[in-house]
Amino acid sequence: MDGLDLLKKDWNKQEVQDKLTTKDILPMLHKKSSSIVKLLFYISIAELVFWTLVNSIPYFTSETYKNKLDSIYSNGLMIGLTFFSYVVILVFIFLLYKSYKSISVTDNIKSLMKSIINTRKIIKYYVLYNLIMIGISMIIGFYYSSHYDPNVIKAIESAGMSMYIVISIIVSVVFIVVIWLFYRLIYGLLLKRLNTNYNELKKLEI
Amino acid sequence: MKNELEQNFVKQLEQHQNIIHKVCRLYTNNYDAHNDLFQEITIQLWKAYPKFRGDSKFSTWMYRVALNTAITLYRKSKRTINTQDYDGVAFKMKSEDYDDTEEQQLKILYKAVHQLNDIEKALVFLYLEDKDYREISETMGISEVNARVKMNRIKKKLRTILNP
Repeated sequence: MDGLDLLKKDWNKQEVQDKLTTKDILPMLHKKSSSIVKLLFYISIAELVFWTLVNSIPYFTSETYKNKLDSIYSNGLMIGLTFFSYVVILVFIFLLYKSYKSISVTDNIKSLMKSIINTRKIIKYYVLYNLIMIGISMIIGFYYSSHYDPNVIKAIESAGMSMYIVISIIVSVVFIVVIWLFYRLIYGLLLKRLNTNYNELKKLEI
Repeated sequence: MKNELEQNFVKQLEQHQNIIHKVCRLYTNNYDAHNDLFQEITIQLWKAYPKFRGDSKFSTWMYRVALNTAITLYRKSKRTINTQDYDGVAFKMKSEDYDDTEEQQLKILYKAVHQLNDIEKALVFLYLEDKDYREISETMGISEVNARVKMNRIKKKLRTILNP
C-alpha cells in the first residue's frame, strides 16, 4: 500500500481519548488569547505612544529646550513641523487600524500571513520615519549648537571642526543603529516562524 | 442571546472537536502544548463565530481557523517548553487492525509527517481529511496545480522514507 494511503486509512480511525465536554469548553471561551496579532497590536500601540512621547516630552518639560527650539524655528517652521508630525501620526494610526481590521482568521492561510506582514510593515515604516526624523533633528541640533552654543564653540576651537563633525556623525549613527537593531530583534523573534512559513508558501508558487 | 450563541457554539465544537485535536497532534509535541493550542484555536473560533453565517459547513470553517491558528497565530507559551514529549508516536493506533509490518510502517509514517514543515503538514492534513484539491488550494491560498505538485512531492518523500 502507498505510504499516504496507509496513513489515510488509519487517520480516519483516530479517536480522541479524552473527549472534552461542554463543561471543559465553556471556560475556554473566556480565556485570553495569546496570538501574535494581539501581541503585535500591543507593540504597535506602545510604539505610537513611545515615539509621540519621545518627540514631545522634551518640548513640554524643559524650558531651555523649548526656548532653544523656539529661537531656532522662530520663522514658523517649528509650527509647520509640529503640525506635519501630528498628521503623520494620525495617518499611521489610520493605516494601522485599517490593517488590523483586515486581519481575519477565516481568510486563507496565505492571505492571513500577508495581512499580518503588511501590518508589521506599517509599524516598520513608522519606526523608520521616526529614526529619520531623529537623524535630521540631530544634524540640525549639531549644526546650531556649533554656531550658537558657546560651550560647543569653545570645544570646537580646541579640538577642531573636523573632529566635531566626525564625533557628531558617529554619535548619530550609533544611536540610530542601536534602535534599529533593537527593533529587528523584537520583530525577528516575534515573526520568525511567520516569515519562514510565508516564504515556504511563496516557494510553492514558483 | 449571548448565552444562546455560546451554547450553540459549544455544542458544535464539542461535536467536531476531533478536527482540532488532530491539528493539535500534528503541530505540537507534548500534552501541555496540545492543550494550549487547543485552547487558542477555541478562542479564535469563538471570536470569529459571530461572523459565521452558516453558508459553509461548520467543520469546513473550522479547518481554516484551526490551521491558521496553528500555523500563524499561535505562540508557544513558556510553560509548554521542557515538558514531557509524547511517548514516541503521537497518534493512537488500533493495533488489532494491522499486521506487524503495517504497524511498523505507520509508526514511521507518523514520525515522518511530524517532521514535515508547517506548510507541508497543512497540505497533508487536508489530504488525509479527504479534501479535494480545490478545497485544499482555497484553504492554503495557492493554486490547485501547485497544491497537486507539492502533494505529489510529499507522497514521494514519504514513499522513499518507507522504502529506502
